[in-house]
This record gives sequence, C-alpha cells and structure tokens, in this order.
Amino acid sequence: MMGPHSHAHWEEEQLGKAFDVRLLRRLLRYAQPYWKLFALALILSGGISVIELALPYLTKTAVDEVLVLPWVEVQSPTPPVPDALELGEGRYLVRDADLPEKVREELEQRGAVAGRWLLIPADAREAEVALRHPDLFLTTSQGYAIPEEGLKNLPRDGVWRLRRPQYQYLGLLALIFLAFLLVRFGLTYGQVYALQYAGQRIMFDMRREIFSHLLRLPMSILDREPVGRLVTRATNDVAAINEMYTRALVHLIQDFFMMLGVLAIMFRLNARLTLFLLAFAPVIGVLAFWFRRKARVAYREARKVLAQLNAYLAESLSGMAVIQLFRQELRSLKRFQEINREFFRAQMRTIMAFGLFQPAVAVMQNIALAFLIWYGGRGVLAGVFTLGGLIAFTSYIRILFQPLVRFSEEYNVLQAAMAAAERIFLFRDLPQEPRGKKPVPALRGEIEFRNVWFAYNDEDWVLRGVSFRVRPGEKIAIVGPTGSGKTTIISLIFGFYRPQKGQILIDGVPLEELDLREYRRHLALVPQDVFLFTGNVWDNIRMWNGGLTQEEAEQAAKLVGVHDYILRLPEGYATDVKERGMRISVGERQLLSLARAAAAEPKLVVLDEATANVDSHTEALVQEALRTVMAGRTTLAIAHRLSTIRDADRVLVIHEGKLVEEGTPEELLAKKGLFWALWQLQFAGASDSRA
Amino acid sequence: MRHILQELWKRRWRLLLGVIALFIVDGLQLIVPLIVRSAVNDLVGGKAASLTLYALYLTVIAVLVFVFRFGWRYFIFGTSRLIEQEVRNRLYAHLLRLPQGYYIQHPTGELMAHATNDLEAIRFACGQGVLMISDAIFIVSFSLAAMLGISTRLTLYAFIPLPFLALVVLKFGRVVHRRFQRVQEAFSQLTERVREGLSGVRVVRAFAREEGMERAFHETNLMNVQANMALVRVQGIFEPTVGFLAGLGTGLILWFGGRGVLAGELALGDLVAFTSYLGMMVWPMMALGQVVNVLQRGAASMVRIQKILATEPEIQSPPNPKPLPASKTIEFRKLTFSYPGVAKPVLRGVNLHVEEGITLGVVGLTGSGKSTLVRLIPRIYDPPAGTLFLGGVDVRELSLAELRRLIGVVPQDVFLFSTTLRENIAYGRPEATEEEIWQAAELAGIAEEIRSFPEGLETVVGERGLTLSGGQRQRIGIARALLLDPPILILDDALSSVDAQVEEEILRNLREVLRRKTAIVVAHRISAVRDADWIVVLSEGRIVEEGDHHRLVRHGGLYARLAELQAVLTR
Repeated sequence: MMGPHSHAHWEEEQLGKAFDVRLLRRLLRYAQPYWKLFALALILSGGISVIELALPYLTKTAVDEVLVLPWVEVQSPTPPVPDALELGEGRYLVRDADLPEKVREELEQRGAVAGRWLLIPADAREAEVALRHPDLFLTTSQGYAIPEEGLKNLPRDGVWRLRRPQYQYLGLLALIFLAFLLVRFGLTYGQVYALQYAGQRIMFDMRREIFSHLLRLPMSILDREPVGRLVTRATNDVAAINEMYTRALVHLIQDFFMMLGVLAIMFRLNARLTLFLLAFAPVIGVLAFWFRRKARVAYREARKVLAQLNAYLAESLSGMAVIQLFRQELRSLKRFQEINREFFRAQMRTIMAFGLFQPAVAVMQNIALAFLIWYGGRGVLAGVFTLGGLIAFTSYIRILFQPLVRFSEEYNVLQAAMAAAERIFLFRDLPQEPRGKKPVPALRGEIEFRNVWFAYNDEDWVLRGVSFRVRPGEKIAIVGPTGSGKTTIISLIFGFYRPQKGQILIDGVPLEELDLREYRRHLALVPQDVFLFTGNVWDNIRMWNGGLTQEEAEQAAKLVGVHDYILRLPEGYATDVKERGMRISVGERQLLSLARAAAAEPKLVVLDEATANVDSHTEALVQEALRTVMAGRTTLAIAHRLSTIRDADRVLVIHEGKLVEEGTPEELLAKKGLFWALWQLQFAGASDSRA
Repeated sequence: MRHILQELWKRRWRLLLGVIALFIVDGLQLIVPLIVRSAVNDLVGGKAASLTLYALYLTVIAVLVFVFRFGWRYFIFGTSRLIEQEVRNRLYAHLLRLPQGYYIQHPTGELMAHATNDLEAIRFACGQGVLMISDAIFIVSFSLAAMLGISTRLTLYAFIPLPFLALVVLKFGRVVHRRFQRVQEAFSQLTERVREGLSGVRVVRAFAREEGMERAFHETNLMNVQANMALVRVQGIFEPTVGFLAGLGTGLILWFGGRGVLAGELALGDLVAFTSYLGMMVWPMMALGQVVNVLQRGAASMVRIQKILATEPEIQSPPNPKPLPASKTIEFRKLTFSYPGVAKPVLRGVNLHVEEGITLGVVGLTGSGKSTLVRLIPRIYDPPAGTLFLGGVDVRELSLAELRRLIGVVPQDVFLFSTTLRENIAYGRPEATEEEIWQAAELAGIAEEIRSFPEGLETVVGERGLTLSGGQRQRIGIARALLLDPPILILDDALSSVDAQVEEEILRNLREVLRRKTAIVVAHRISAVRDADWIVVLSEGRIVEEGDHHRLVRHGGLYARLAELQAVLTR
C-alpha cells in the first residue's frame, strides 16, 4: 500500500530565486520564435502608456486653457507689473501667465490677490453681450471686464455667446479624449491578444517537447517517478511559466516605461515638486524590499505547512484502515487539528504581511497627495504652477505608485515560474532510452538468452543466469509461480531494461546494438491488464499508427472476432472507449488488445495472459482469437490457460529467477517436477472445485 | 448558499468588525476627493489659508485608512481562514469515521480534491466574496450620494454609460464563464492525455508508437490552445470595454461639467471631485460579474463537502452495545458476503467455529476469499447480521472500539506511516516502553535489522526516509500488532514477502505467543499453517476441506496438491 512515492503528488514546493539568468536564458529560447509577437505587444503597450499618460494631461489642458479665467485681480497701490490693467481704486487686472513668481508670492502674502476675471476686447464679436448688460461689466482700456461671480448673473445664452471659443475648445478636447479612449481600446485588445497568443504557442511547444521527452525516458526512470509528478511537469509547471511570459515580464517592462514617462512629464510640469515627491520613492522602495522578504518568508512558511497538511491527509486516507483498527482516530484527529491550526497561524501571518504592505503603499500615496496640496497649492498661488498641472499631478502620483504594488505580485509569479522551470529542466536533461544504430528491416524471430542476470535495483537479482533459445516460428509458454521473474523476461525481450550480466541476441545480433524502435515495430505485446486510451475504437486498435487505415483496423477486429461486438457499440467503431458510462468487459478488452496486436502484423507476439475469469462464451472467443494471432508467428506467452500451454511447442518453467525445467508439456508432466505440481494445482484443482 | 451563510453567521461578530472597518475605510477614502475639491476651489479663488489644514486632514485620513484597512483584511480574510480551518477539521473528523467500503468507492485522489479545491473555493467565497459585495455596496452608495450632492444633472450624465457597463459585465460575464469552463475542461483532457501516455508507456513503447501518441497529444494540445484563445477573444474585449465605458463617463463629465464651469454653474473643484468619485465606481462595477462567480463556485463546493459530511458511516457501534462476552470464541454461521456494488458473493455459506485459544490456519488459491473472511471479524467490512459471533454475541451488537481492541491484525500489504520505526511499531500503544518495543521487534524477527540501521528505531520510513522491502514492512506490521498484546491475533498472509526459512523461524518464535491467544493465520504457503490446530481450505468462497495437516494431506484434495507444489518448490 505504501509505495515509495505514494504521496508525492502533495510534494513540498521549493521556491528559490526569482531571477536565475541561466534558467531565464533557457526559457527565453522558447519565446524566440515568437519575438515578433512580443515586440508587437511591447509597441502596443508603449502606445497604451502614452495614452494613459496623455489622459490626465488633457484634463490639465482643459482646466488651464478653458476652465480657469485668465485674468487675476490684484489690490495694489501701484501697478504690480508694467502692463497691468487698472480697474480703479487700487485694483489691477493682470494676466495670470504674466505675473512673475516673486511678485506673485509677495502679493499672496499680503492677501492682495482677490479673484478671477474675464476680459473681452472691445472689438470682439462677444462685446455685444457686454453692451447689452452694462451693469455687469467694467469698461477698461483693453475692453469689457467681468468678475467670475458676475458671470452667474448673465442669462445662459449670454454666457454661451461670451465664451464660445472656450466651448469649442472644450468640445475639441472632449473629442480628443474620446478618440484616445477608442485607440486605447484597440491597442489593449491587440496587446492582450498578441501576448496571450504568444504565450499559448510557447506552452504548446513546451508541452509537445516535454511530452515527447517523457515518452522516451528509460523505463527505469519512469518506474521510479510517480506518474502524477511527471504529469505536473507537462501541465501545471508549463502553465506557471506561461504566467511569467504573459504577465510578469511584460508588466515589468511596461511598468518601467510607464514610470519613466510619468517622471518625464512630471519633471516638465514642475521639476522641483517632482523632486520633492521623489523623496518618497526610497521610503517606498525600502518598504517594498522589506515587505518582499517578510511576505516571502510568511508565504513560503504557509505553503510548507499546507504541503504538510495535505501530505498528512493523503497518508491518513491511504492508511485509514490502520488508524481505525488500532483505534487511533482521536490521536490522528488531534494531530491533524494541530497541523491545521499551524496552517491557520501561518496564513494569518501572511495576511498580516500583505495587510501591512498594501495599505502602507496607499498611505504613502495619500501622504504624497497631502504634500502635493500643501506645497503644490502654494506653488499654484505663487504662479509657479498651474492649477491644471496640480490636478494632473494627483493622477500622475497614482500612476507612479501603482507599479510598486504590482511588483510584489509579479515577483511571486517570477519565482513560481523559475521553480517550475527548474523542475521541468531537471527531467528534460535526463538522457533518453539508449538505442542502438543497427537497422532492423526484417525480423526472423529468433531469441536467445545467454546467461542473463538482471536486477531492478542493486544486487536484488530477479533473473539469475537464465539461458534459452527460441527458434523462429516456435510457440513458447512460460510458466512459474508468482514473482518468479516471468514478466521481467518479457520486459527484457522488449529492451525495456538491459541485463547487468549476460546477453540477449535477436536473430543473432545483440539487442543493445539494434535500433530499438525499429525492432519493436516487428513485435506485439498483449499485456495482462489491457490499457485503453482516450479515443475511439479505430484509434485504439491502430494505436495511432498513421500507416494503418480504418479498414485494416476493422480487418484485424474481424480476424479476432470482435467486429460484431464493436458494431453493437453506440457508435460502432467511432465510439469513444473512455466516455462516461462506457463499460467494456474484461473479455472484450482482451479481444480489443488482440485486435491491436493483429493489426500490427508482428513477427513476434508476446502475451502476458490475464488470470481474471471471463464467461465461457467470451473465453472461447479469446482462445480462438489467441490461436489466430499466434498462427505462423514466433510467440512467447506467460501462460495461465490450459489451451495456451497445450498448444505450446515448448514450456519454460521459471522459479526464483532461474530456468528450472524446459521441454514439451508432455515431457514435463512425465517428469513430475514443478511443472507437474503447478499443473495439478491450477488445472486439476480448478476442475475439481468447479465440478 | 445556505450552508455558506450559516458558516458566516457563526462568525458574525468577527465578520462585522471587518465589515465596519471596511465601511470606515471606504468612507474615509470618499472624503479625500471632497478635500481636494475644497483645495482646488480655494486655489481658484486665490486663497491659501486652509492649505495646511487640508494637508493635515489628508495625512490623518491616510493614517486612519492604514489602520482600518489592515483591520478589515485581518478580520474578513481571517474569518474566511477560520471557516476554512473549521470545515477542514470537521471533514477530517468525519472521514475518520467512514468505513473501508467508502474509501474503495472514493479514491484518495478524489477526496484530496475535495479537501483542497473545494475548501479553497469556500474560503474564497467567504473572504473575497464578502469583501467584494460589501465594498461594492459601500463605494457605490457613498459615491452616488456624494455625486448627487455635487450635481444631480451631472450625475445623470455620468450614468449614461452605466447601463451599458452593467449589460457588458453581465452579458460578457456569462460568456466568459462558459468559455472559462471549456478551458478547464480542455486542460483536464490535456492532463488525462499525458497521464494516459505515461501510464500506458509500456504498451506505447512495445508497439513503438511514440510518434502516434505524440500525434494524439498534438490534437489535445491544440484543442487546449484553441479553448484558451476563445476565452482570450472575449476576455480581451471585456476588460478594454469596461475601461472604455468608464472612460466615457469621465469624457461626458469633462464635456457637460466643463460647460457647467464655463457657465459659472459649477465650481471647478466640484468637477475634479466628481471625476474622482466616478473613477472609484469602476472597480466595484467590474467586480460585479466576478462576485456572482465566486459565490456560485463556493456554494457548489460547499454542497460537495456537505455531501461527504452527510454520509452516515455504514459501520458504527450500536446505540446500546452489549457487554463484551468473557469467551473469545469466534463463530461464522452460514455467512454469505459480497462487497458493496458487486453481485458475486466472495464468501458463500461459511460455517466455522474457532475455539478460544486455538490457532486456525486458512489456505486457498488467490481470490478464494481468505482475506475477506478475516476482515469481517474486526468489522473492516460488515458481516450480515446474525452470521458472525464473538463468544455467542453478534459482533454487530458489540461496541466497535471494544471489539477492535480485542483484535490485532497484520494485513498482507502493511501500511506504514512516514514517521520513525518507533512510532510505527508503537502505533497502537504510544505509551509503550522501549523494552516492550524491542521485545515485539524481536518476536517479529525484525530487531536485528533495526539495530543495523544507523538510526535504529528513529529511522524514518517512507517517502522522505528509508524505503523498506516488502518483507521488512510485513515484520514491522507484525511487531505493531504484537505490541498490542490482543487476545485475538489475525495474520492475513502476513509473511508472504519473506522467504520460507525466515517465515518458519518467525513462526517458531511466535508459537509461544500464539499459544496464549486465539490466532487466525491466513497463508498461501503450507509451511505457515502446518502446525495450526485446525486448518480450513477455501475455494471460491466456500470451505471445501477442513481438519489438521495430516488429515488434509491424506484426504488428497486441494490442500494435498498445494502441499505437493510446496514440496517441489522448496526442493
């Protein structure tokens, strides 16, 4: 019950570095064929960044150029600047942009800046509005002036006519805004599509490569590794790497450019303020760094406990009978609750680490905003800075801080991808099953074992000096008690393993010199447990041999007498054998397996007969099919059936890894040895008890 | 959904704290645009007096937001973790009560999937789900109120894209969900293909069909890509569309609000605040589709877990168990038994009387029902009522714990836990002394090997430790059962993996111990049962011969043939 790796599927996650140059370089090789897609995605994300940055700028322009009135009223005994416009009583109108910083600051301190005004040149078309409402306008040397509050007293159409250029400008800006949105929409879609497509193609390629490689690993490695683990390499691990391509890498690059862009704009708007704001960066940097360590430790700890928890659960489920028989339910429950509580605590620590970081970044963002209002606000009043600029800044801060938050996520993705790559490459670097070079165009079917010794591990000999020879066309039955080494002989004939001592000759040539794949094409295996693959009946008989037609598959099915049965299936040969609710009996599975062997038209047939009982009708069919498949071929059968043994030219009796008896069935029965005893037990006994 | 709500209700106070913290955070965050509005309006008016105050407000709010944000994460996510922990405990406690029959119908992999994926989905619904719903409600209602306070008309304009947004979220959400399921399906097909290719690698390789297998994989692999790209095509539109519609709202505000500012009907600061509020509402809108999904998945997972929890253990102690009889005689009366879901009986009409203190040998060919016979005694599987008696009392009427305390079992496949040898041997009696442990190991013939390990009894076995051979495991299993010193000992082919000489030696050691107990020795080797007081031979579920060794050999039936084979094998 407890195999060496029974719970390996719940293996602990090993998390290592997020950047490993060697691994990264190797991973990037898979991305290389799709570099154009990545380049496209990057260009598109450049465009998106530009638009993201331009949208707040549009708002800024709208505020500065359209929404804020351009003239400022200043109370001053003398004109604050040479070309100030006198309103009378020590009040002057100054164009916002004309006021030098120094003067403005001084006025500000005296509280001399009063409000904003609109000025209409006397010769403008809008002047007609002023003429109609003389009580609301002041006449100055440069035209009619109206304070901001005064505008509210004008009728609607008056305001509209007065500010037509601004309305038009605003409309233009709104249209540009809309256009930007549309372009961003298109670019985003293109970027997502290009990236995802590239990612999917890379996964496709990687999976194909890994699967092909796994299929060709030496049998000794495949025996050792639990299937679940190998499957994870080709499925989930590849998906983790995809996350890196489609999310982390691109986001990192995109965020980098975005930050550069934001900084450039901010510097252009106001270098000093930007510099002050940048003072927050090291704080956030340190915070992010500190968090990264803290969160990583917490996260890893939690994963470790989770792996423990799941391993414990899986083990308990497998060993439930022991727990119950030894009445240790309560102890087991207590231990489980302990680990579970430990996991809960580890999770809470993770929640706290993440819970501190993300709000902390937000706090920095808000404090930066406070600083912006306090310092930038003064700047606006001092004329260093436009109001629109300030508003744009509030948006840009957000853009500047966002990547910092995102970075922690990306870091995890990268780390997971690197760990997955490490695991994948570990298998990818294993050498494939060794195979000789000698081509095998045809096979006579002669097998010779010369003093073959074999052990699956170390000195645990399964075969101890087995020698025999099978002549072409001969039918051999192998007989022996369970665990005597019969199946191992078959595995060696197929070249799944190499003997440690001795030699196996095929048609007089050492097996290891043959091109194994070509050699195996002349062989057919009928295993004890029939393995059916997802797919229809045709596929399962042909075993995806492209050279075989559907007709040939049906021919093979007719040959072994399973054709009628297949036709009775819901969709005949097109029936999916693994579909839910499909129940194919043991006997019919055996027949399908025989059809598979017949379709391969082998020179050498190797059978591992099933011990399971089938009903007598099917049994008759199977025996008939066996005879058909074996006819005219060299066959080797681990025999459990009376008929197979009777039909054999020769019987090899194996016991404890040695060939103990050899001869025709009649000879061996007369000898009254092991074969005779086995025969007595299996066949004489069975007929007794059935009678 | 009902069960999830029940879980949440159980932790309502904790959850309430979290929701209140969230409420405060959302509220505070919505004040920020108001402050910015005042600042902008002041700046437009050329007033600087309050700037420092505004900055101070913002800083205070920042700190408060930090504290409460931490608070809701701690309480809401913490609650979801607490629920996860509790449901997991409950699940495990229940699994411990379910009999072996359940585990045959529900393999470990399937139960593990429930314990991992389903629990995660439940946690997600209780954490993320609660968060998204409360957050969306708070933010939307706060923002809406603030926006209406600034300008009713503008709010209406801003809401022009909203119905479209809701439509997109709901409509696309459904399509996305469907395609997402298709992606998951394609992925499990892919996984199954790989698994199959590797499980069936012998067949594939024997026929040299690696290329063929690759072709089959290629198709599945391609299907997976197509399913994913189909999802990307809708999802890729979904997010930019939401972004576009949200941006459109801002554009509309810029246009209509800007005209309002130009007309002097709206202060510039109001406009700025307004756009901020609008921006805040985008996220909850996008989350809308997700929430439904998260809650649905959580509810579905909860149903699956509840189904396990609602499974009544088929084997239980009776409500009023009879007292343990003094006699330890075991009696089978016309016992016919078949495994659940299998029509063909494994045992047919077995009549057998096992006197207290004797050693019974059970032999037979593979599949004759030997193991089943002994598994029924400690009720690993339940015998039909009125067929199996201990000291004259039906085993089904005894307390399960008391019954099992009487019996020590060593199965053929000994399951060891991946811990030290000490803990494995003392599994049934953790309080056993060092001396007792060694004594049991000695009797089981494993002591010498344990001494040869560098770490002795502290050697860890299993995946992360030493891999023991089948024979070693069996002997540890024997030591484990012997340490219990039970009145009834069952060895179920417990020495099949050691060679005949070692088996004989161990049995010789055990003879003294077995003499004091009722023992049942199931074996496929005659040598293991030769000295038993009574031997039964099973064939196809029936007792076909019984007697002592000599009588059975003289009888010349199945037992005699087995004995002959054995003689030849050991020759």
